[in-house]
Amino acid sequence: PATTATEVSVGKSTGDRLSCNTTSFQKKSRSKLVSIPGTRPSVQNGQLIVSTGVTSLDYVIGGGLAVGTLLLIEEDRYDSYSRMLLKYFLAEGVVCGHELYVASAQDHPSDIIQELPSPILDDIASPKPVESQTKPCDPEGPDTMSIAWRYQNLPKVQTALASSSRFGHYYDVSKTMDPEICQAARCHGFYLPEHSATVSPMPEAYVALLKNLQEVIHREGFDGSLPQTKSRNVLRIGLHSLGSALWGDDLCCRDNPSHGHALTTLLYGLRALLRSSLSVALVTVPSHLIQNKALMGRITRLCDTAVALESFRGSERETNPLYKDYHGLLNVCQVPHLNCLVCDLPDNKDLAFKLKRKQFTIERLHLPPDLSETVSRVSHGGLAGAAMLGSSGCGSAGNKHLDF
Amino acid sequence: MLLEVLQGTEAGGFILLQDTVSYSGRHLLKSYISTALKRLHFHNAYSDPLGWTGNSAFTVHQFTLEDVSTLIKQTPQAKAVTLVIDSLSWILRHHDPAAVCQRLQALKKGGAVRTVIVLVHTDMHQRGTVGSIRHLATSVVTVAPGTRGLGAVAKTTRRTKSGKLMQDEETFSINEDLSVTIHSKLSHPGHTHVNTDETEVDPTANLTFNLRLSDTERQAKEKLALPFVFSKEKKSALLQPGPGSGRILYEPDANDDYDQEDPDDDLDI
Repeated sequence: PATTATEVSVGKSTGDRLSCNTTSFQKKSRSKLVSIPGTRPSVQNGQLIVSTGVTSLDYVIGGGLAVGTLLLIEEDRYDSYSRMLLKYFLAEGVVCGHELYVASAQDHPSDIIQELPSPILDDIASPKPVESQTKPCDPEGPDTMSIAWRYQNLPKVQTALASSSRFGHYYDVSKTMDPEICQAARCHGFYLPEHSATVSPMPEAYVALLKNLQEVIHREGFDGSLPQTKSRNVLRIGLHSLGSALWGDDLCCRDNPSHGHALTTLLYGLRALLRSSLSVALVTVPSHLIQNKALMGRITRLCDTAVALESFRGSERETNPLYKDYHGLLNVCQVPHLNCLVCDLPDNKDLAFKLKRKQFTIERLHLPPDLSETVSRVSHGGLAGAAMLGSSGCGSAGNKHLDF
Repeated sequence: MLLEVLQGTEAGGFILLQDTVSYSGRHLLKSYISTALKRLHFHNAYSDPLGWTGNSAFTVHQFTLEDVSTLIKQTPQAKAVTLVIDSLSWILRHHDPAAVCQRLQALKKGGAVRTVIVLVHTDMHQRGTVGSIRHLATSVVTVAPGTRGLGAVAKTTRRTKSGKLMQDEETFSINEDLSVTIHSKLSHPGHTHVNTDETEVDPTANLTFNLRLSDTERQAKEKLALPFVFSKEKKSALLQPGPGSGRILYEPDANDDYDQEDPDDDLDI
């Protein structure tokens, strides 16, 4: 039996402060557990987790995506950011050496693989902390605090979410992955127009997808069917835009779909396949087109982790000064309780995301403290209240300078 | 942007024209046809969509990639074909909306046609159907009657391949010869947030006690030496982030028995 001597290592934080519920605890175990590249045991519940490709998303869903579970992403209106998340997920699989399975009814899987972002390989360490918020280290500048000068270099509001131990890689969105790296990865694709000669009525398309996936899992041995000589690996499954009309499903077209259970049956079968094999799946669903909200609730229940994206592009929120630094809002709808009673989540529920060239950041949405008496408060329901209570630091935005 | 929708369409463009019963989009569709196209081949599936008379040239069941491709091949010198569908709503009456979306996607990607321009009457369908077709489109033009009687209002949304989104709202009218005149371009209707510079009220005025400092008082205050104020060099030295923020510096004194070895090492379980 392995000794489980534990060792706490102090985190090597390079200037960013950790919030109280992240931990740099790393379990030291001389274990005989099989270790698969790109995975590690979760500190919260011991499950084997993989990175989603976006480190801030990993933090928000509790450290990472557990192998054997299903992540649902509700697409934003023009499917730009959800598609980006799918590409990050697949790119992380390529970099970690996992196998990929991509299914789409809209674009050919090989097109999706060619568009993957290129990894920033020389800097596996975390990139520089949010530079806009750390002031330069100048003790006598005009903005310096004279009494509280020790706090000068702290960010005014801690919005970036990060955990201390690094897991996952960073990608440069402006470049695509090298073709050699792509070809080194084993990839299985399912393109719906190729699988059915005629327009496929539903639910045959879903049945064909599930059968193909089961066949790939069995053939490649992810469910343990192959003998132990082959080293274990994880299969990353990316399913693009399930439920859209291109899969033959009228879930998005009609208020009362004719086969309302087809997608839910697929998700149920998919989760059964995932639980019995070393695979992890990411599914995107165009929830803004689904008219029946009860159905969307059922779909969310059938997935393990669910995250919804709402982008500001093209809506009136684009010009709202509150949202000017961000590209959209992110809402964590559901997080699974895997072998545990409660799950550990970041306390602040108002999250916004921003896609920068080298990083997809998810930050807490905060309102600057309102110092003027006559500015009218923009009311956002719960948003303003929750954000104001949370995270304003010891400084203030703008020119006013509170020194104490 | 109403007219730019037709220009610069790379292959695989899908332009959707949405109208309602208050303003018909057929005029705009006809003006697009007249400006963009050189030769017009007309296939009539309106008079006999289901082929009941037995000798109709084109039925609604032939709205598939293969049949449209054969039709195009039959026309001589067909290259850079633009497929214009005057009213997808009639096709949606006969086919399942999901199937129509799949066929439109196949036409868009199939390579037989370069651009597809489609007119949809939004009143006739459920929101989900219209939404699904919008989701496939690269450009969407929504027409509505103008408020001030000048013409009609068109809201255009264009999505480029790189994912950029451009939006515009313009008033236009269509002349006798089917050309479009743009009257005015309304800027993107954002919220008009009030940007008034209000003079801030000075809270130290109008008080019964004095909160202001005279000049001598201010100088005395600034001369005061605060405790724990270090010189500039010491401050910057203290402000540099160290190699590890949690270093524990411990000097054991005489009574401490500080053994560096891990006592668990000689456990033999």
